[in-house]
Amino acid sequence: MALIKPELTKDIEKYGTFDFKACYNCGNCTAVCNLTNKNSNFPRMFVRYSMLGLKEEILTSKEPWECYYCGDCSEKCPREADPGEMMMSLRRWLTAQYDWTGLSGLFYKYLPAFLTAMLMVLAGVLIFANAVKWEVEKMLQFGHFFEMIAIAAVFVIIFIPNLMRMWYFMVVKTHSNVPLKNYFTALNELFIHMFTQKRAKDCTDNHFRWLEHFILVIAYLSLLFTTVFLNWFHTQNLFIIVLGYIESAFIFVITVDFVKDRMQKKKALAKKSKPSDWFFVIWLLLMGFTALGVRLFIDLNILESNKWMYIFHLTVLAQWALIIVPFGKWTHFLYRSFAMYFIKLREPEIKSIK
Amino acid sequence: MKKKIGVYVCHCGGNISDYVDIEKVKEAVKEEADVYLVKNTLFACSDSSQKEIEHDIQESELDAIVVASCSPKLHVPTFRGVAQRAGLNPYNYVQANIREQSSWAHSDNPVGATEKAIQLVKAAIAKARESEALTPVKIPAVNVAAVIGGGIGGLRSAISLAEMGTEVYLIEKESKIGGHIAQWDKLFTSNDKGSDIINSLYSQILKHTNIKIFTNAEVIEKTGSIGNFNIKVKIDKEILPLHVGAVIVNTGFESYQPLQSEYGYNVLENVITLPDFKNLIEKSDKELIHNGKIIKKVAYIYCVGSRQDDEGENKYCSRYCCTAAIHVAIEAKQKYRNIINFHYNRGIRTYGKQELLYEESCKNGDIYIQFNLENKPQIEVVKGKTLIKVKDILTAGKEITAEVDLIVLVTGMISRKDDTLINTLKIPVGRDNFYNEIHMKLRPVETVIDGVFIAGTCQSPKNILETLNSSQAAAAKANSVLTKGEMTLEPTLAQINPASCILCENCRNACPFDAIMTVNYEDRQVAKVNVSNCKGCGMCTPVCPTDAIDLAGFTNPQIEGMIDALVN
Repeated sequence: MALIKPELTKDIEKYGTFDFKACYNCGNCTAVCNLTNKNSNFPRMFVRYSMLGLKEEILTSKEPWECYYCGDCSEKCPREADPGEMMMSLRRWLTAQYDWTGLSGLFYKYLPAFLTAMLMVLAGVLIFANAVKWEVEKMLQFGHFFEMIAIAAVFVIIFIPNLMRMWYFMVVKTHSNVPLKNYFTALNELFIHMFTQKRAKDCTDNHFRWLEHFILVIAYLSLLFTTVFLNWFHTQNLFIIVLGYIESAFIFVITVDFVKDRMQKKKALAKKSKPSDWFFVIWLLLMGFTALGVRLFIDLNILESNKWMYIFHLTVLAQWALIIVPFGKWTHFLYRSFAMYFIKLREPEIKSIK
Repeated sequence: MKKKIGVYVCHCGGNISDYVDIEKVKEAVKEEADVYLVKNTLFACSDSSQKEIEHDIQESELDAIVVASCSPKLHVPTFRGVAQRAGLNPYNYVQANIREQSSWAHSDNPVGATEKAIQLVKAAIAKARESEALTPVKIPAVNVAAVIGGGIGGLRSAISLAEMGTEVYLIEKESKIGGHIAQWDKLFTSNDKGSDIINSLYSQILKHTNIKIFTNAEVIEKTGSIGNFNIKVKIDKEILPLHVGAVIVNTGFESYQPLQSEYGYNVLENVITLPDFKNLIEKSDKELIHNGKIIKKVAYIYCVGSRQDDEGENKYCSRYCCTAAIHVAIEAKQKYRNIINFHYNRGIRTYGKQELLYEESCKNGDIYIQFNLENKPQIEVVKGKTLIKVKDILTAGKEITAEVDLIVLVTGMISRKDDTLINTLKIPVGRDNFYNEIHMKLRPVETVIDGVFIAGTCQSPKNILETLNSSQAAAAKANSVLTKGEMTLEPTLAQINPASCILCENCRNACPFDAIMTVNYEDRQVAKVNVSNCKGCGMCTPVCPTDAIDLAGFTNPQIEGMIDALVN
């Protein structure tokens, strides 16, 4: 039963700057969207669901993840209601719904809570550094260890249960009868979307943004691999050292461009940056920047006398791994691709309905 | 007496001449008796052609003219004007319609069209031959008007008439003037109070000594005709005769009362009508309470009693209710911040400046849900909760459920159920039961009963602005008739030859306008036409067994002459 919940509308409003009240259901947004089709009716239908507060409908929907925010709809909206931002807000809201801890929602809606968490991580890093008497070697060792533990823990404790919840909402609740075989045959869909975001290429005038994003994802994942598994900060292998430099440089350059976009506010998707957007892109920038700095200081042999550089890096890393990755925008990386995966699972059923 | 008749055959550009052979027509009619000249003209109605006809009339001293062109509905006044300007009596002009009746109707058969045109022109010549000079009839009129209905429209009509110097009798059925408006508080779109507006109109009325107000009064009889009506007004138990020149009917509307159990009305205690809800809002204090329960969520169901499907007879839109409902919703939101309004509508019609209220309501966060007649909202009570289910057009027809505290039926306007006035004044009513004007666009406040005007919501649903517009229009129209002191009537009236009348009553029964009266003639009773009622429709002429009745402008010799010409 689709029950109207006006209070849900108020809740969704806290995840973005969309002006629900401006929309008069003309449908221009859907008409201009390159990605909408007869099986995926958005943004208008989702503006409508949000206005009425139809929780079940939104929760079980794939459409918010099918939007890559080119901003065409927002530019063409005669009421300046900004449906693109609406879809973005729904993704934030969905992220909060999938998250069993409830922290995503808390951080999205209440900036002080987020800042407090960030400061607590900073305090934790300082306490740890003090405990090891600010010895660089120990800190480096621990940092490497921490990275592996953090990745594993976030996956096991946060992401796997959250993805299970997402699966429950999108597949179980929609009463989709998916044969077990499909879970394997659809896997390639998952990885293609995870690493390439290929659907985003269909967005209007989006090829350069897509390319930047693609390089950034590859560089980020490679750097993660290089630091964690190839142990970049300890290796003597020249190839690995150079590879790490290149990867972190790519991350730095592209994130600088993204920050510049958000500051210039020319592109639709960069016009209305929420704190979660700023922290994501700046911390990614800092990740590239500090990793590069640490390795540079090691190569110049000045890290011992400039311990702050590593503490800086460790702080950014810890905040990134413990807060921004599990509870922030980073999760789009997983949810988008898993949404495509779940859609692929449900594909025969979706086709038969239409 | 031999006449000199001028005949003009019009090409109408190519409209006629493309199918009708104009030269043949000219050739065929020029030898007709009494025809003095025959001319063709590219456009008879053009300035130059009119001047030429005028010149011919004067130069050749024509006694009658025939223009063979388009429908008489279009250009009779034009060519009567031509005749008049040239010094010829306008009723010596006859029009033959060879466009609608010939070239357009028979474009597939030019030969036949030409033959028919010839016959039509010959018939017109025959009619012109027998035509007589007629003079319009003038009857005296009193500059007094009765305004029936003391609501906002009636008050406005009365004031406008009084300002223009017409004496007014304002006749109100209730014990107080003011009608619906006096009972309401804030009105859209100006937010004036209804009582303030009525008070302001009333104080204007008091300044006019030529307005007399009768309350508890009803018109029970009307005789006479425009300029000279005799009406009887029943005030309490007394009957007051009044002599007036015109009547303005401004009797207003009734609110539609939902049927038993329509959307749960009279079954569920939390289903009320829009007027009830407006009263509730305006009389409630700090909290909105209905039946002891605090109201937070209000559902408005639109078009109740308006735009009905086959089961209901009210097919019209009541015009004011969308805006009124939205205005009340805004009032509710202003007074009680935490109220949530759900508007179940069939397309919002807040036309003109009223759109701003819709905008405001949207900004307030009101939720609009749209349904069509096939899927009306369904109301259910489950465990004490009132639920409304509807397939929402704006959500791709998905069934949407809302839990609400109060359901407001946005009821429209219906005509007054009391039909005594219809019988007394003989005003025609439309299929929607509202009073009918002669022509929606061309004569919007006049009825087919000359001298009886209609205004306001007795004519059709209107908002206050529209009611006042029509009320002032009716006042101006009535005054323009009465101030002349006399009425000019078309001379095409029936005449009864008293010598041959046997008072069989056939004509009286045939007359739709109540124009036959009885008079004494040489010690016996005969029928006579009351010229002020006669419309010259001709219904009485053929039923007279002794051929005592003739219709000026359509006399028996004229019609017989036309028939002869057509069948020859």
